[in-house]
Amino acid sequence: MTQNNIETAVEVKNITKSYPGVTANDSVDFKVLKGEIHALVGENGAGKSTLVKILYGIEQPDSGEIFINDKPVEINKVDKAIELGIGMVHQEFHLVPSFTAAENIGLGQEPRNSRGFIDWDELNSEVSNIAKKYGLDVDPKLRMIDASVGIQQRTEILKTLYRNANILILDEPTAVLTPQETDELFEVIRSLVDEGKTVIFITHKLREVMEISDRVTVMRDGKVQGVSNTKDTSPEELAKLMVGREVFMQVEKEEAKPTEKVLEVKNLWVHDARGLLAVKNLSLDVHKGEIVGIAGVDGNGQTELVEALSGLRPTSKGEVIFDGKNIESISPRKRRRAGLAHVPEDRANTGLNLKLDIWENLVGTSYFRSPLSKGGIISMKNVVDHSNNLREKFDIRTPGVFVRTGSLSGGNQQKVVIARELSEDPLLTIASQPTRGVDIGNIEAIHKQLVEIRDSEKAVLLVSAELDEVMSVADRVAVIYEGEIVEWVNPKDVDQQQMGLYMAGIKD
Amino acid sequence: MEKFSFKDVLILFAGTIITIGIAWVLLTVTGFVPREIGKLFFEGAVVGQRNILNTLNIATPYILTSIATVVSFRVGMFNIGINGSMYIGGLYAAWAGYKFTSLGHIPHVSLCIAIAIITGSLWMLLPALLKVYAGVSEIISTIILNFVAVLFVSYMANGPFRADPIAPATPRILETAELKQYFPNSQFNSGFFIAVIIAFLTYFILKKTTFGYELRSGGDGLVGFYPSRYSSYLGIPSDRSAITGMLISGGLGGLAGGIEILGNARYFYQELLFNQGFDGILIAIVGKLEPIGGLIASLFWSALRNGGLFVDYKTEVSREIVVILLSILIFFVSAQKLVSSLERFKFVRKLDAFFTRKIK
Repeated sequence: MTQNNIETAVEVKNITKSYPGVTANDSVDFKVLKGEIHALVGENGAGKSTLVKILYGIEQPDSGEIFINDKPVEINKVDKAIELGIGMVHQEFHLVPSFTAAENIGLGQEPRNSRGFIDWDELNSEVSNIAKKYGLDVDPKLRMIDASVGIQQRTEILKTLYRNANILILDEPTAVLTPQETDELFEVIRSLVDEGKTVIFITHKLREVMEISDRVTVMRDGKVQGVSNTKDTSPEELAKLMVGREVFMQVEKEEAKPTEKVLEVKNLWVHDARGLLAVKNLSLDVHKGEIVGIAGVDGNGQTELVEALSGLRPTSKGEVIFDGKNIESISPRKRRRAGLAHVPEDRANTGLNLKLDIWENLVGTSYFRSPLSKGGIISMKNVVDHSNNLREKFDIRTPGVFVRTGSLSGGNQQKVVIARELSEDPLLTIASQPTRGVDIGNIEAIHKQLVEIRDSEKAVLLVSAELDEVMSVADRVAVIYEGEIVEWVNPKDVDQQQMGLYMAGIKD
Repeated sequence: MEKFSFKDVLILFAGTIITIGIAWVLLTVTGFVPREIGKLFFEGAVVGQRNILNTLNIATPYILTSIATVVSFRVGMFNIGINGSMYIGGLYAAWAGYKFTSLGHIPHVSLCIAIAIITGSLWMLLPALLKVYAGVSEIISTIILNFVAVLFVSYMANGPFRADPIAPATPRILETAELKQYFPNSQFNSGFFIAVIIAFLTYFILKKTTFGYELRSGGDGLVGFYPSRYSSYLGIPSDRSAITGMLISGGLGGLAGGIEILGNARYFYQELLFNQGFDGILIAIVGKLEPIGGLIASLFWSALRNGGLFVDYKTEVSREIVVILLSILIFFVSAQKLVSSLERFKFVRKLDAFFTRKIK
């Protein structure tokens, strides 16, 4: 980091922004020094996104002041933010898949030649130059459809640099990366700072905060809870500030005592939606009393595997034996009845119908059974009692069960899914990305529930792209790469670096 | 579609006032006295036994077609073919009305109604199957089927079902097949009660039965999102829900047509013009895609229509002016962004919370 701490790159004073019913930013003061890597951390709904949206001109604050490079400014639209040298890399990439990297980067600001046409050579060489300067390894002529997630992200960063951004906002940039790709990203960030850029790094992964940032600002409930130099603080302290209470970062559990086999997958082949092979000759088994984890970078067949096991996708070849019976060809409801629960990775479109009320989502697996309904007629009283019980037991924060599910926060939506799935006391719970988009406090609760299921002699199959999660919760871990299991590991015997290699398909 | 809230009432109220203002200007520049026209309009809509009965009578098909829309939206389908179902149901109700000669009143009426429902429903089978098994957009197939329906009934009234050598029309239905008209000064008939019962029945089935839950889990206002991943994930056969929903929707359209024939027209003729199937879509949206909302919106809509007819009959004011005013009103009611922008005001939020709590 370049030592030039006298100047501030960004300073916001007393920013307040409210939406109907919530104050997303409540008198927020936030200051980023020139040339530093500043981590902005907080749970979902803490107000981080609102704050950066205000900085990037997407949202307007109700009150407060913004200073860029010590000058007061009004950022009323995104163009203005870009003009001020602010660049943002969103969590979801905004790229045209059929365009090359350079075409995406130049989009809207293409260099023209003397006849007024786009000067492709100029564009390509300029992109190459910027890429070289900051150590961003991107081929300007590579089409985004063929690019890995890491390269897409670098293209997004280049897009901001091409527009002369000096202040870069990265919104949860590591969520989609492997450990190796994350390391490479950190290299890039460091070289950006060496070239005099300022980086605002939004994350909820505290390990990354400790590794990359110079200073850190913690937000909770729309307020800034604390600002400190990273070297003077600890993950435990940050977690406490984020959640507002003591958090146990490590999942507490006894040694697993696996008993009989409950799920056996034999030489399974599954095709994805485009008809390509997604799961290749995969075998695994899960026993009662254990949590089996599946680790791997997103898109290596986990989705298809889970869908095939839960009955949402047909299998092509192979056997799935659950509780002694073959279940490859029976419906999801029959699988449920046999004791197989499924927390899907896509809660908004699969696990829930967000247009339905909370109670309607809570009874999705049980509405057809007495006492919730008799003779096809739903007993409102029993349904409401049932829903309220689940709401209390799983701590779903809502004003009532007659509220649209879509109005809940991500964490609470996930609790609705988990409450419904566990209410049936299943033999095996398949949990796919159960904590994606869920905040730390709730992650802790969900992990505890998974361990509780295990301890009550039931089984869990945990599929997650969060390496930390799989390693701390699961008792046995399979690493999946391109639809095949690369290696089975005991999470206690292997380090992050080694796991990263397995996740990249490299076996020793 | 968002849940119904107090904001909607406010917007409707404000929209009505603005619409009246526009009407005022329109009438003044065309040389009328707005106050007198307004009085006539109000009288035609809701004053006096005859006018009230006529309003209710006009509402009957709107109630049914708006509920038909609600049902199709709830399974995630956008059924624009309700008007076609109306024609088909009406035609076959007329056919059954003169064909079966040896039945008593109740069996005969019931048979005609059943045939109207079944034929209207079967008319929707093709688009439903095409959607589910071939992925053909139901919007396209039902629009096309509307044209087919008009040509088909016109052929039938002209050919196989034609009775009158002069006019292309079916024979008059028998007295045993008539829906009873209770008053000498209005065509108001028992079909209205059928429509109201259907509205409450639909509400009950959608909200309080497992069958309704299964239908809604596939879409529930997520139009165009069939098949919803949620229902397949729960193991609810979403294909079956989608087909069932389309059949119910078509059946209600057929019923609307049947009631028009059995209660009002009493025979089917080539020039018979139905458009309630299209208006029903608008009314359903005004009614927030709820069955009871559709019922209320239909009554409101019919009152405006009937008021307009009355003004047309009593004065020189063009009937089209009412259509213009209705359209302006629809603009306001469906302006969701206007509705949500009201949340800026604190008193609106408070009123909203107050009324929401009361309804629960």
